[in-house]
Amino acid sequence: MSIVLARIDSRLVHGQVLEAWVPHVKADCIVVANDEVAGVSFQRAVMEAAVPSSIKLVIGTLEEAVRILSSAELLKKRVLLLFSNSEDALELRQLGVIYDKLNLGNMHSSSGKDRYSCTIALDTEDIHNLQKIEDQGVSIVCQCVPADRERTWHKLIQTGAR
Amino acid sequence: MIGLVVATHGKLGQELLASAEMIIGPVRNAAAVSIDHDNDLETIRANIEQAISRVNQDGQGVLIVTDMFGGTPANVSMTFLEPGQIDVLTGVNLPIVLKFFNSQESVKLSELAGILKAYGQQSIAQASDYLHRK
Repeated sequence: MSIVLARIDSRLVHGQVLEAWVPHVKADCIVVANDEVAGVSFQRAVMEAAVPSSIKLVIGTLEEAVRILSSAELLKKRVLLLFSNSEDALELRQLGVIYDKLNLGNMHSSSGKDRYSCTIALDTEDIHNLQKIEDQGVSIVCQCVPADRERTWHKLIQTGAR
Repeated sequence: MIGLVVATHGKLGQELLASAEMIIGPVRNAAAVSIDHDNDLETIRANIEQAISRVNQDGQGVLIVTDMFGGTPANVSMTFLEPGQIDVLTGVNLPIVLKFFNSQESVKLSELAGILKAYGQQSIAQASDYLHRK
């Protein structure tokens, strides 16, 4: 199994992922690692219906995702791995899922978060989590869609909150 | 690369392209034609013709998508039909536009129109259909 894209996107499976990233990285499998969505059957059903049948979709809790990612079933797959937040991305890494690069896609604003770009809002917890991920040798970049320029997340932080 | 002309009542076409760009980033070989109530047929024809030549610089063909079968944008567009070179699809939606841009370099025009027609129809969903699926 190769992880062709690991991305934090609070919207999980949506237009930018299906229409832009999947063809760009030639993924043939999407793994959604999210405790919440894994438990809501309606949301799962809608997500499953939105993904074309040529793409394998796996939705699981973080622990299930770890297991699935190392299973024989995904051995030859080009996986696009999705998290909804930095905490999950860190936890999966700590549970043994190795990805070398982490894409920050959409991390939308909510209360207590500072906005760093139009699609990225972070609080101190996020910055702490991302720093921990980076310390493990992961390069962290911001790129909403493939046509955007890829920038290291430090650029974003240096520029400061808006 | 196949070109796309989105011909619609008002600015719908322009906005469909803008919405597509929000999702997949900048698009290529596309033009929108807005048909307004004070346009006469000659003007509309000329505008569509101009858009076609703008997006067909390499001669790979053009797909015109219009908002509604039976409406003026569709009626005028259909007069440009030229199998293998120019085809017309009515009832455009955003999934059709996105799929077009993901296929414009890999599929021939003659196949693309058919694929997009089926794709656009399949992309319409009713939420309550998903309630009892497991």
